[in-house]
Amino acid sequence: METLVQAIISGLVFGAIYAIMTMGLTLVYGCLRTLNMAQGAFGMVGGYAAWMLTTQAGAPPIAGLIAGAVAAAGIGILTHFISIKPLVGRKDIDFEMTAYISTLVVAIMFSASIILLFGARNKAIDPLVEGRLKIFGTVSVSWQQVAVAGVALICLGGLSLLLNRSRQGLSIMAVAQQFDAARLMGVPAGRVYWVTMALAGLLGGIAGVLLAPLYFVSPSAGDLPILKGLTVAIVAGLGSIRGTIYAAFVIGLIEALVATYVGSLWSLPVLFSLIVVFMIVRPYGLFGKPEEERL
Amino acid sequence: MLDVTGLSAGYGAAKVLHDVSLTVDEGKFVVLTGPNGHGKTTLLRVLSGLLPADEGDMLFCDERLNGRSTAAIVARGLVHIPQGDLLFVDLTVEQNLFMGAYLSAAWRNRRERIRRVYELFPRLEERRTQQARTLSGGERRMLGIGRGLMSNAKLLMVDEPALGLAPVLVQEVYATLERISRSEATVLLVEETLANARGIADYVYLMDTGRIVHEGTMAEFGADVLHSTYLGNRGS
Repeated sequence: METLVQAIISGLVFGAIYAIMTMGLTLVYGCLRTLNMAQGAFGMVGGYAAWMLTTQAGAPPIAGLIAGAVAAAGIGILTHFISIKPLVGRKDIDFEMTAYISTLVVAIMFSASIILLFGARNKAIDPLVEGRLKIFGTVSVSWQQVAVAGVALICLGGLSLLLNRSRQGLSIMAVAQQFDAARLMGVPAGRVYWVTMALAGLLGGIAGVLLAPLYFVSPSAGDLPILKGLTVAIVAGLGSIRGTIYAAFVIGLIEALVATYVGSLWSLPVLFSLIVVFMIVRPYGLFGKPEEERL
Repeated sequence: MLDVTGLSAGYGAAKVLHDVSLTVDEGKFVVLTGPNGHGKTTLLRVLSGLLPADEGDMLFCDERLNGRSTAAIVARGLVHIPQGDLLFVDLTVEQNLFMGAYLSAAWRNRRERIRRVYELFPRLEERRTQQARTLSGGERRMLGIGRGLMSNAKLLMVDEPALGLAPVLVQEVYATLERISRSEATVLLVEETLANARGIADYVYLMDTGRIVHEGTMAEFGADVLHSTYLGNRGS
């Protein structure tokens, strides 16, 4: 019983991180109709920014979180102008596939640049907060887990307000849902694209800083998160915001339960099997719509 | 207000519009009619900057529209309400309306503007927190028109507002458009038949195979003109 509760807590916390991480993929897919394979690299860069400010310069962890978010948002904009904008609207290419490859290439370039700048060695980073909170029996949560859940909830709440209330947020949803109509409302699509990429960077950077104390900061720190993010996105249905949140927690829970009861080596194989099953049974995900219905 | 001269446009090699000239004066209710698939919607798409013009000039309030972005054209007050509504189906009715006031000049007055749209279409206020995808056909049309009215429109281009609506709703929509043309904005209406706009239109253009083949006031538009166009081109 206590093991189960512990696993569920851990699963929910990871689910929260996956939710903000994958939300970046979801927003970009909704708006630009391509998978942004640099989403993991945004988190990696965010981790390095936080490491430089905290471990290196001695700033408090919260400053590291903010620096990571801002740096990754900048990297998101850079990624847009290098690897997406030159492809938008070109008639001689398949945009979705070409942008997928070009963002993957940019992600590899970011990792390589980080190796050149800081070397390949892992960097340790302190958690946002130390210590543990005892709940009952042997069940306890670290304050870091509480902080992670809190930050993730603030991010999701803020995102919901932004998307549903603000002019910029509504225009992101409008471009995602009805491109021509959004243009007829006077929305400049070009600006919405880079704002969306900045937002994806921001979310990826925050996820990266939250994950950093658990996995170290390293040039390949974005690889695992993007795999998890893709799993969540496929289970959710690409582009579905609500689905992304549910699927992130489902994936987090499955991962934690498998790691606890079967062994942590099994969590990735189980998740990948899940992708295969979803691809066969419900390729549009839990909350997506089949293509013909989308029209 | 709107002056189009010698306009040609199309999709790549497929030319749709040939040497189109058309004028809309302020405060008038102008109808562009003609059989479907003959370029009426394409003309609206070119005017609102969704499709580039190949030749010719488009002037709106003495400013040239050629080469301008859709955002810049909408900002000048030329607003296109597209055929089939093109709503943001996962947004609520209210969010759809707010999107209509996206440009900053209109956004500042969005609460005031939404009140006016709700006065015009009380049904939309009842449905304001519902997703647009849950609306009936008539409500969707009201939302499409209401969304267009949220902007600072000087000239509203409305494409086939009667399409797919029950006759009683068609009357309601046209009565609203007539009211709008008198008090809010000039209207350029596109529709396949003149049946609905007969009592409202000040001036009519007839388009056939991408050309304006006839123009005049409603009185000058005899049944013979329409017959020759429709019967001559249909059945092929």
